[in-house]
Amino acid sequence: MFEFLFKYPRSVYARGQFALLGAWPKWVLVLLILAVAAGLAWLIRSRLQQAAPMMRGWRSGVVWGLQTLLGALLLVLLWQPAITISELKPQQNIIAVLVDDSRSMAISEDGATRQAQAVKTLQNGVLASLNRGFQTRLYRVDAVPARIDSLKDLQPDAPVTRIGESLKQLSEETSDLPIGAVVLLSDGADNAGGISADAISALRARHIPVHTVGFGRERAEHDVELDDAVVAPRALADSRLAAKVTWRQRGYAGAKINLTVRDVSSPQAKVLAARTVTLGPDGNLQTETLMFDIGGAGARTLQIAAAPLPGEENTANNTLTRVVNVGSEPRRILYVEGEPRWEYKFIRQAEEDDRMVQIASIDRTSENKFYRQGISDPKELANGFPSRPEDLFVYQGLIIGSVEAGYFTPGQQELIREFVDRRGGGLLLLGGQFALADGGWNASSLTDLMPTTLPTQSATFHREADPRNGTTHTTAELAPAGIDSIITRLVDDPAANAARWKTLPYLMDYEDPGTPKPGAAVLANMITPEGRKLPLLITENFGQGRTAIMATGGSWRWQMSSPLGDTAHDLFWQQLLRWLVSDTPGHVSASVPAQLLLDNGAITLTADVRDQQYNPAPDAKVEAHILGPSGVGALVEMTPVPDSPGQFQAAWSAPKTGAYLTEVTAQRSVPNQGPDRNTGTVKELGRDVLTFQRMDGVAENFHTEQNRDLLERLAAQTGGQYWKPADLGKLAGAIPFSEAGVTMRETKDLWNLPLVFLVLLLLRFSEWWLRRKWGIV
Amino acid sequence: MKLVRPISATPLLLLLSLGLFAMQRGGYQGYGRQSYYYQTGPSVPSEFYWSRLQYTSSYAGGSSYGFRRFGGGWSRDYPKADNDCLIALRRLTRINSPSPLNVVDLDSDHVYDYPWIYAVSVNNWTFTDEEAKRLHDYLLKGGFLMVDDFHGTDDWEHFMAGMRMVLPDRPVEDLRDEDEIYHVLYDINEKFQIPSEVYVNTGRTYEKDGYVPKWRAIRNDHGRIMVAICANMHLGDAWEWADSPQYPEKFSGLAFRIVLNYITYAMTH
Repeated sequence: MFEFLFKYPRSVYARGQFALLGAWPKWVLVLLILAVAAGLAWLIRSRLQQAAPMMRGWRSGVVWGLQTLLGALLLVLLWQPAITISELKPQQNIIAVLVDDSRSMAISEDGATRQAQAVKTLQNGVLASLNRGFQTRLYRVDAVPARIDSLKDLQPDAPVTRIGESLKQLSEETSDLPIGAVVLLSDGADNAGGISADAISALRARHIPVHTVGFGRERAEHDVELDDAVVAPRALADSRLAAKVTWRQRGYAGAKINLTVRDVSSPQAKVLAARTVTLGPDGNLQTETLMFDIGGAGARTLQIAAAPLPGEENTANNTLTRVVNVGSEPRRILYVEGEPRWEYKFIRQAEEDDRMVQIASIDRTSENKFYRQGISDPKELANGFPSRPEDLFVYQGLIIGSVEAGYFTPGQQELIREFVDRRGGGLLLLGGQFALADGGWNASSLTDLMPTTLPTQSATFHREADPRNGTTHTTAELAPAGIDSIITRLVDDPAANAARWKTLPYLMDYEDPGTPKPGAAVLANMITPEGRKLPLLITENFGQGRTAIMATGGSWRWQMSSPLGDTAHDLFWQQLLRWLVSDTPGHVSASVPAQLLLDNGAITLTADVRDQQYNPAPDAKVEAHILGPSGVGALVEMTPVPDSPGQFQAAWSAPKTGAYLTEVTAQRSVPNQGPDRNTGTVKELGRDVLTFQRMDGVAENFHTEQNRDLLERLAAQTGGQYWKPADLGKLAGAIPFSEAGVTMRETKDLWNLPLVFLVLLLLRFSEWWLRRKWGIV
Repeated sequence: MKLVRPISATPLLLLLSLGLFAMQRGGYQGYGRQSYYYQTGPSVPSEFYWSRLQYTSSYAGGSSYGFRRFGGGWSRDYPKADNDCLIALRRLTRINSPSPLNVVDLDSDHVYDYPWIYAVSVNNWTFTDEEAKRLHDYLLKGGFLMVDDFHGTDDWEHFMAGMRMVLPDRPVEDLRDEDEIYHVLYDINEKFQIPSEVYVNTGRTYEKDGYVPKWRAIRNDHGRIMVAICANMHLGDAWEWADSPQYPEKFSGLAFRIVLNYITYAMTH
């Protein structure tokens, strides 16, 4: 219909430029149109007296409008309107026909694979029509473009699709050829995360339009696809971890599916967690968190899977893999307590079962006595709370119990700030009679460190009346932010967990922690005997580290007043203290952007290197020792990152699929003391271990529905057009209008468009019809 | 008429003898003072409550003349001994303990609210199965029990008969001087037998055949002391008679240091 009315294909209007070919200036046209309008107005007005009465109002205006439009249109036609457009010279240009050759094109739909449908479409006249005006070159496309002689050379088994990179490479490789346009037949299932700006720029620089032809269903009929699984890349041995699994389904709303987490690095691929969930509405993203024990130290490969359902079209997208590096180095916490109290005892008792977290503590037993526990040598904490960074920074976490702020010197308070901010440690403040606002922390120099704005008044700490006689109690409940937190997860099922919190025995005391700051997360609340809801557990990230307030010293009742064997108290404290120290970095902290390399081995290793006082160490010598599968090994020197003191980077490429273990070491030369001070000794600052894995061919199993959005955007950004296979008969007509290759400038008249004649007739007919309706004809 | 006086004196003598015998076995219970402390001590919110264990006494292996209410063996030296100890606790440590004395009964789950309990005359204690389980759970969950004031072989056997109902398989061990419980607050490197107030009149530090003081304990799986046993001694008397010029200071001094160490240990381990 479009071409019937407008005579030329849509692309002519999209790419061409409008012009008036008439020899007279354009201002004459404008003047004449105004003159026609004015003349008709004068004529109608002069005859208004003799006209029928009903024509004296707005109807005369309508007649004037229609006649003016008619006159204006005729005048425009006299100026010879036309479109000028670049057009490919026949037989002098090449059309590159690219067919997606990746595995997703082997998916069978409606009795034929996607690629077979593409081939059939090309063979059914499309190639022939293109060949009539141009030379064509056939390419198959997966990770790179490769020229083929015949469509029979296609074999949809490539493990990866990189459309953007392939187009960019094609553009570069054919820079000396007159490529007039590219025709891409694909399902748009690109594994590189989209078309890069570089690829688009390369195509636009040569003005090559990409015409995309979409194959594959835009919506699967029966499929469950795991969209993502978020698992912490690092953990302490024996940690309880969470896998946040997100998926989407079509065709199975209301059905039940089994989700599992397996440790495939264990001999029998041990199942770590399993849960049955009910599938939600079609197309909606659903999320479920599975909790599991990660086990002992080492590199763990986790397989997160949704069990295939009957009739599923694609079961390869039901499994995701994640890598977790489980550390074996125990973490140490310094716990400072201002008085003997039960909370201290029961926190220590909870940690007895956690071999990865050790608590060294100072308890002020009398006015002038301190009791040390958990120390590793007699000198540790012998002088009380540390005053030097190197003494405090050996710990990964710090707990301050019922201790007044004034107990710490200004220097020690600043050290606490540095511990969190610079060293990246975790700070936990407990409630107590000498804690928080009642301990003067609201007037200390560390108020900005707190996750809450502490109350300005004192007397915020309240004890339970003698429990035997008391009738009112302080109870805890889970806050919304605590539902997905690993700290507050006492039971795996979220609903059961929330219910479990409500059944915890009441707290022996509580302290008003004030108002949570923006950015802080309230994981649990408490209901006071007066019915006030106050935050109980608040966490926040601060600088490189993290801070938290547990606004009670009476959670020990969760242990004593629960049945013997109940793990709630111990589990809560173990999880809270692990959160406190798990992410505290060492002197060397190595990282990679992604631990899973899909189809591409290129990886950038980054290391943050700190000296003994956790200041950046830009003068360190940093090396990465990489061990991979089948004897792959490399020693890579890492170089400093400009403008980022202490940061080092190295680019490397994993040549084979499999797991890679990398140990990053940092050394520093320390000048000798004494006469030979010009020489130095090399001292190790620290080391860190990370793991990553290369997997090929996995990404191709995901997002197998036709990515029409990507194909449409690619076409729009390059001046091409998205086509459905059924419309490809018109492709040959649209191809010539391109500015790439060998072109000529064509001028196409518009005065003889069928649409113009239709409009002229319509204007005259409208006036006639209106006059008939008004009864004046 | 000549027989009237002897006849009337006989029941009086009998009553007096029985009373003296009962006092010997059960001690002076001071009921009036107990009720004063017990009834006029509205609890004050505290971190630490001095809690004495109330249980059913059953003398000499099941005789029916033991009982549970005030005046039973569990309340020997109460409240003065406890009160003096509490005063020392407040004076010499930073443990928050403003509340008056507290009595906890094994027939109630409220025992779990007080992770420290003190029991005396445990050679007389008896438990129902429910009470034994409650004390068993209490100890394994983190509670601490200090037992005192029983002497000799028979008392030990009777004490252990009750203990075996509570912790059937846990061994009892002798505490060594270097154990942490003797260094947590005071470094107690020298210990000796702490006698009851009988020492004032007799000079004897032992009772029955309990010639040697036994500093013993029962631990949990992690080595934490759950039950601290002071056998062949009477620390309660040493606190109670601390202000008596006749009772030697060295006994009271050690008794105070011991109990403060035990409490501090209970609150740190």
